Amino acid sequence: MRRSVLLAVVAGALAAGPAVAEHMTIALSTAEVKISSNFTGAPITLFGVIERDAQSVSRSGHYQVATLVQGPPESVIARRKDRILGVWANTDSETILAAPSFYTVNASGNIDDLAEKLVLERYRLGFANSRFDYRGRPQANDPAAAEFREAFLRIKQNAGLYSEQQDSVTFIGDSVFRTTVWVPANAPVGFYTVRVFLFADGALLAQADESFRISKTGFEQYLSVFSREKSFVYGVVCVVLALFTGWLGGVVFRRD
Amino acid sequence: MLIYLPIAELSVNMFVIFGMGGAVGFLSGLFGVGGGFLLTPLLIFSGIPPVVAVASVAPQIVASSASGALAYWRRNMIDMKLAMVLVVSGVMGSSIGVVVFDLLRRLGQLDLIVALAYVTFLGLIGGLMLNESIRSIFNARRGRPAPLRRPGQHTWLHGLPFKMRFKRSKLYISVIPVVLIGIGIGFLGTLLGIGGGFIMVPALIYLLRVPTNVVIGTSLVQIVGTMSVATVLHAMTNQSVDFVLAVILMVGGVIGAQFGARIGQNLRGDHLRAMLALLVIAVAVRFLVGLVATPDERFTITLLFGAGL
Repeated sequence: MRRSVLLAVVAGALAAGPAVAEHMTIALSTAEVKISSNFTGAPITLFGVIERDAQSVSRSGHYQVATLVQGPPESVIARRKDRILGVWANTDSETILAAPSFYTVNASGNIDDLAEKLVLERYRLGFANSRFDYRGRPQANDPAAAEFREAFLRIKQNAGLYSEQQDSVTFIGDSVFRTTVWVPANAPVGFYTVRVFLFADGALLAQADESFRISKTGFEQYLSVFSREKSFVYGVVCVVLALFTGWLGGVVFRRD
Repeated sequence: MLIYLPIAELSVNMFVIFGMGGAVGFLSGLFGVGGGFLLTPLLIFSGIPPVVAVASVAPQIVASSASGALAYWRRNMIDMKLAMVLVVSGVMGSSIGVVVFDLLRRLGQLDLIVALAYVTFLGLIGGLMLNESIRSIFNARRGRPAPLRRPGQHTWLHGLPFKMRFKRSKLYISVIPVVLIGIGIGFLGTLLGIGGGFIMVPALIYLLRVPTNVVIGTSLVQIVGTMSVATVLHAMTNQSVDFVLAVILMVGGVIGAQFGARIGQNLRGDHLRAMLALLVIAVAVRFLVGLVATPDERFTITLLFGAGL
C-alpha cells in the first residue's frame, strides 16, 4: 500500500515535472547529409522553439540551451611514441571503447554555468564531463589513462571532429533559438544523434531528441559497397583498368 | 578542385594529387623506374592514411609499368621466361607481405617498420647506385672504357642446383637465386607500396648478370604481375584500394612518364643513375628525419577493427 502510494507520487512528480511546464520543439535543416564526389563538409542548422503553458512558473533568469551532436560510436587505440635507441616508436597504448566518432556541444552561454557538474556529467555535456571507458580498466575515466584521454581529445579537435563552443546557440527573441553544426568531410558515415537541453537557473527543464544520417550516395556509395562486398572483383577491376590505362598511354604517346 | 575519396573517406585537392602522379610519372619515365618509392611517401606526407596510400599506389604502378613494358615488348627486349619465374615467386612474396602488413598494423608498428625499411633499403640501394655511377662518370672522363661483362665469369651463384636455361638472357643458372629475388621484391613491394624496380634492376644486373638490354623490360613485366596480385590482395584483406585516388594517380602518372621518357633519351645513362641515386637517398633521409626528430604530436589514434583483437 505504502509502496504503491510512493510510486504514484513519483510518477506524478515525473509527469508534472519539467516536461509539462516547458516544452521544446526542434527541427534540423536536413535529415540526411549526402556525400557525393564534391563533398567538402556541410552545415546542419538546428532550430528550436520553447513553448510555455499556463502552469509555467515565471523565471527570473534567462533560458540556457545546449545542443549535443554525437556520431556513431567507435573504438580506437591511442598510442604514445617514445624514443627507443634514438628512434621514435610506439610504446604504450590504451584502447578507448565506444567513444563517439563525432562530438559537438554548442551552448548559449558557458557550458560549465549551465548546471551542476553532476548533471553535466550525466548528459556528457562538454569534454570535461565526457565519459571514457578503457579496455581492461573497470573504472570509467581512469586517471591512469588521462594522458591518452587528453591526446584523444586533442587529435579529434585538430581533425575538426570534436568541438565545444560557448555562446554558439543564439536566441531569436525569447523563445526561439538556433545553432549551426559543421559536419566536416572526414566525418564518418552513419547515424548521428542530436540532443537539445533546456536549462534555467541551473535546472534542466526540458530535453528533445532528433537525428540525422550521413551517407554516401551515387558513385561513392556504389564503390564503397562494391569494395566491401565483392572485394575480389573490385581488385580485379582496378587491375584491368590500370592495364588499360597503361596500354592507352603507350598507344596515345607512341614514339616508334 | 576538391574531390571526395570514397574509401579513404576524406576530400583532397584533385589537382595536387594529379600533379603528384604526373611529377612522379615524369621521374619514373626519366629513370625507367616505377616511382612507387616516391609516390607512396608523398601521399602519406600529404595526409592520406598509409593503409590507403600503399594499396592505391599498387594499381598506379601497374599502369605505369604496363605502359613501359609494352614499349619493350614491341622491341623484343623482354625475357618472358625469366619474368614469369620472377612473377610466380613475386606473388609468393606478396602473399607473405600482405599477411605481415596486416599483422604489423594490428600491432601498431606498421609505420615504424615501413619507415625503417625505407631508410635501410633506399639508403643502401641509393648509396650503391651513387658509388657506381660516380665511378662510371670518372671512368668516362678519363677515357677509360666501362668494364665489360665476361661471359665465362662464374660466381658461387653458378654452383647452385636446379639449373634453368633463360635463352633471351643467354643464361644457364640455378633457379634458387631468381626465386629468392622474386620473393624478396614481392614482399617488400607489398609492404612498402613500391614496385621494387630500383632494387630489381641492380639485382638482375649484378647478381644474376642478366644483359642490360633485357633487364628493364623483364623487370617491368615482373612489376606488372606482382603489383596486379598485390592490388587484388590489398583489396581483399584490407579493402583499402581507393579507386578514385588510383585513377587520378594513373592518369597523371602515365602522362608524366611519356614526357620523362622523352627527356631521358637525351641524357647519359651514368648521369641519370647518379641523379636517381641522389633522389633515392633524399627519400631515405626524409624518412630518417621523421624517425629521429621529435614529433609535434607524440600520440596517434587508430580505429580498432573488429572487436576480437
